[in-house]
Amino acid sequence: MIQLGGVTPKARWSMRLVAAASLAVVVIGGLAVKLAQLQVTDGVTLAGMARANSVHRVVLEADRGIVYDRHGAPLVSNSPVWSLEVVPAGLLLDARARSLELAELARITGQPEPQVATLLAAADPYSSVDIAPGLSEEQELAINERLPQLPGASIVRHAVRTYVDPLVFGHVLGYVGPLNDADLKRLRKLGYQPGEVVGKVGVEAGLETLLRGRNGWADVEVDARGEVVRTIATQPPVPGDSVYLSLDASLQRATAQSLAAGLVRDGKTAGASVVIDPRTGELLALVSLPGYDTNLFTHGISQADYSRLINNPDRPLLNRAIAGQYAPGSTFKMVTATAGLQEGKITAATLLSCPPYLNVNGWIYHNWASYSLGQMNVAKALATSCDTFFYQVAAMVGDVTLAKYARAFGFGQAKSIEMPGVMPGLVPDSIWKQLQCGVPDLNSDACRWTTGDTITFGIGQSYLLTTPLNQAVYVAALANGGKVMRPTLLDAVRDASGREIQSLHPQVTGTVPASADNLMAVREGMREEINRPYNMNYWFRAAGVPADGGGKTGTAQWGGSGLDLPTHAWFVFFAPYSQPEVAMSIFVERGELSEVEAAPIGVQVMKFYRDNVGAIRAGTI
Amino acid sequence: MTNVAAWRRFDHLQLLLIAMLSLLGLMTVYSAQADWGRQLLWLLLGACAYSAAAAFDYRRLRAVAPGLYAGMLLILLAVHLVGHSALGARRWLSVAGFPLEPSELSKLLLVVVLAAFLSRSEGVSWRSFGVTLLLVAPPAALILTQPDLGTTIVFVAVLFGMLFLARARAWQLFSLVFAAGVAVPLLPYLLHGYQRRRLEIFLDPNQDPLGAGYNLLQARIAVGAGGLFGQGWLHGLQGQLGFVPERATDFVFAIFAEEFGLLGSLVLLAVFGLLLIRLLRAAAVAPDRFGELLAGGVFLMILVQVVENVGMNIGLLPIAGIPLPLISYGGSAMITTLAALGLVQSVALRRREVVLGDGALGTITRRAQA
Repeated sequence: MIQLGGVTPKARWSMRLVAAASLAVVVIGGLAVKLAQLQVTDGVTLAGMARANSVHRVVLEADRGIVYDRHGAPLVSNSPVWSLEVVPAGLLLDARARSLELAELARITGQPEPQVATLLAAADPYSSVDIAPGLSEEQELAINERLPQLPGASIVRHAVRTYVDPLVFGHVLGYVGPLNDADLKRLRKLGYQPGEVVGKVGVEAGLETLLRGRNGWADVEVDARGEVVRTIATQPPVPGDSVYLSLDASLQRATAQSLAAGLVRDGKTAGASVVIDPRTGELLALVSLPGYDTNLFTHGISQADYSRLINNPDRPLLNRAIAGQYAPGSTFKMVTATAGLQEGKITAATLLSCPPYLNVNGWIYHNWASYSLGQMNVAKALATSCDTFFYQVAAMVGDVTLAKYARAFGFGQAKSIEMPGVMPGLVPDSIWKQLQCGVPDLNSDACRWTTGDTITFGIGQSYLLTTPLNQAVYVAALANGGKVMRPTLLDAVRDASGREIQSLHPQVTGTVPASADNLMAVREGMREEINRPYNMNYWFRAAGVPADGGGKTGTAQWGGSGLDLPTHAWFVFFAPYSQPEVAMSIFVERGELSEVEAAPIGVQVMKFYRDNVGAIRAGTI
Repeated sequence: MTNVAAWRRFDHLQLLLIAMLSLLGLMTVYSAQADWGRQLLWLLLGACAYSAAAAFDYRRLRAVAPGLYAGMLLILLAVHLVGHSALGARRWLSVAGFPLEPSELSKLLLVVVLAAFLSRSEGVSWRSFGVTLLLVAPPAALILTQPDLGTTIVFVAVLFGMLFLARARAWQLFSLVFAAGVAVPLLPYLLHGYQRRRLEIFLDPNQDPLGAGYNLLQARIAVGAGGLFGQGWLHGLQGQLGFVPERATDFVFAIFAEEFGLLGSLVLLAVFGLLLIRLLRAAAVAPDRFGELLAGGVFLMILVQVVENVGMNIGLLPIAGIPLPLISYGGSAMITTLAALGLVQSVALRRREVVLGDGALGTITRRAQA
C-alpha cells in the first residue's frame, strides 16, 4: 500500500513554544558551561581529592609477645600510648582556616607552630604524619575532644613495651627500639617496614623472631579528609609468641638484691651473678649491676638521660654477666687440678709443698701467704687456695694441655644463649701469644710464651679471661660430673592460641675428659674450702645455711703484672654436694677480698634458694 | 489510521533518543552497583507503558481528567495515611508488594489535568487562573508535607510553565512570581529540618564538610574527577568506592560524569536537549490545544527534572530529591516518564496533516474541538 498524501505541514511554532525551547537551550547550555568548568578547570584539583578519597592500607600492629618467668609472671607488658597523626591532604583547604588549624594542632601538642607546618609540608600529602608521639592519657583525652574541629587529624594508639623492674630484669630482657638503617637493610627481607620496632638488646633481640607478631592490615576507604568511610578487607594481626624464661623472678630479685647489698657494703659499684641449674643448663638468675631503666628506651629517651648512661664510668649498659671478660683468678684452680689429676701428674694423694714463693728462671712468683703452708694434697690446696701448689701443677701439665682442659670446661667459648652480645673470654697459649704480640721480634717477652705465663695460667691469671656466664657453666660441669651444659634462658614458647610450640631440651655441648674419681677429688677440695672454720664457713653459719656443697673464691689481679695490682673478686659455688641442683658464679668488679666480698653474696643467694626451693622448683609453665 | 501512516508519523528520533538515554541509564545504574536487573524490568514495563500510551488516543484523557485528578488526590492522601517512610519522609505506597512512589505518578497526572483544564479555552482568564491555582494547591500541599521538596519544585515549575504555554497574561505570571517571592522567605519555617539544612548547606557547603555538605562535596568531586574524557565505565574512583551517596538515584549523574567525563556529559545533555526540543515539536504539531499543552507539560516536567538533578549534582542548585529522567534507578519514575513520553508520541502520531493528491488514501486527522 502506497501512501501518497498526508504531507506534514510546517509545525506551528508559537512564540511561547519558541520561548520554551530557547529556555531549554539556555538552561542546558548553562549546565554545560558549569560542567566544563568543573570537569576541566577544577578537574585536576578535584581528581586529586578523589584519589585521596581512596583506599588506604592501614597497618594493624601486632602485639609483641610477652616474656614471662618460669612460673608465668610477666616481665614486660604492652602498654598503650597515643600519638597524634595528621594526613596533610585532609587539613582544611581554605588557606586561612588551614593556618588556624595548624596553630591549633601546634597548641594542643605543645610544639612550635613552624615545626609542625614544616613537618606536614615535607610529607606525602596522603600519608599519615606522626606529629606528637607518646601522648599521655590526659593529653589524649583532651585532644580527642578537639578532633571534630581538626579534620585530617586522628589519634592513633600504639603499644609500647613497659618492663617490670628494669633494674633487676633489664639486662636479661633488653629493650626494643625503632629500626635504624642498618637494621632495616638486614631485616627488610623478613618484611620489616621503616618505623617498626625491633629488639635491640637482651632476649628482646635474641628472641625477636618469636616475640615479633605478624602485623595485619585493613584496607579502608578514607575520604578526602582522611576520615575512614568503611573497611573493605582486613587481615587480623597475629600476636607474637609468649616466651617463658627459665628465670625465677623471685630468685632473680633476691640475687640482684644480694649482689647490690654486697656491693654497697663494700663500696663497690659493679658486679654480676649467674645462677644455673647444673642438670639442665637452665639459667635461674642472671644479674648484672649496675642496671639501667630499659623503659627509658621504649618510652623515648632524652638526650640527657642517654649521655648520662653512656658516660657513666660504671658502664651500666654493659651486661657483665655475659659480656664482661675478666681473669678468673683462683676459681680457675679446679681446671689446673683436673688437668694434673687426669694427666697423671698428680694423684688425689700427692703431696706438694706450698712455699711463700717460687723462683722461676729468676722471676719470683708469690703465694698469697708470705709463709709456708706446708705439704698438702690437691684438695687442701684448693681449700687453702695455695698458689705455689698450682704453679707447680701447671708447670707439670704445660700450657697447651692446660688450655685444652680450660676449653673442655667451656672457657674461651661464647655460649649461645637467647640474647646477643655474649663474649667468649680468652684461653691463651703459646700460639695465641705469638699471633697477637704485634712485635717483629718473636723472641721478645711480648711474643714468646714463658714458663711464668704457664704457671700464672695455672692460677687463672696470665692472659686468661672468662665471663660470669662461662664461670657458671664451668662450675655446673664440675658439679654434674663433667657435662658442659648449653646454658639457656628459655623454658617454653607458646603461640597466641596458647599452644606450646617449643619446650626445654637440655643440651650437653661437651664433656670434660676427666674420670669421675678425679672430678670427685676436685669437688672434695671445693667442699673443704667452704667448710674451713673461721673462714668461709663463717658466712654459712652466720646465714644459717648448711655448707652442703662446694665453692671456690678467687681474687683475680688485672691490669698488668706486679704486686699491688687492682683485683676482681669471684665466688663460684654449687649445692647440694651429693646431688647438685644449683650452681652459681658471683663477680664483684674491683673486689679486693673474694672471701669477704664475693662469698657472702653467694651465701645469701643460696639462703634464698634454700628457703624458697619449693616455690622455685614448683611446676613451670 | 493505517500502520504505514502511523509508521510515517511516528517520531522515530524521539524513540531513538529515549533508547539512548535508557541504555546510558542502565549502564550507569549497573556501574553504581544498583540492582540493574530490576532496573531492566522497570525499563521493559516502561516500554509497555510507552507503547500503550502512544497507541492510546490521548484525546480520550480529557474526558477522564476529573477522575484522574481525584485519583491523584487519593493516592497522595493514601501515602499520608498508610505510606512507608524512607529517609525521614513518607513517600512510598506498597502496591501488590511493589513499592510505588505516588509523587512520581502525580507529576504526569498534574500535567494531564492542567492540560485538560487549560485547554478548555483560548488564553487564561483571571477566573480560570484562580481555579488553576486552587486545583494545584491540594496535591502540592500533600506532596510538600510528605515532605517532598523535589516534587513540589516540579509542581510549581510545571504550573508556571503550563500557564505560560497556555498564553496566560503577563500579570498573571508576574503575580505568581510575586507570590513565590513572598513564599521563599517563609520557606525556612515551612521546611522540615533536613530540608532547611540542605538549603543552608547549598548556600555554604564548607559549613559541614563531613555531614550534610558531604553529599554535595563528594558529588562535585566525582564530577570534577571525570575530567575531559572520564575515568571509563566502571572505573570511577568516587562512584565505585561508594563515596558518592545515593549514587544510583539522586546522584547518578555524578557517577555518569566521573566515568564518561565532560564529553560524555555533554553528549548526555545534548541528547536530553534534543529530546526536549522533540517534545516541543510534538506540541507544535499537535492537532489540538490539549495535545499542545500535554506535550508542553511533559517537556516542562522533564526539563525541570533534568536541570534540577544535574544542577544539584554539580553544585549549582540545592539538593532536592529529584531523579534524572530515564537514568536514575527507580521504577515509579521510569514508568511514569516513559508513559509521559508515550503520550507525547501519541500527540505526534495524531498531528494535523495537509492532504495532497489522493485524499482517499491519506488519513485526515479530525480536528479536535477546542
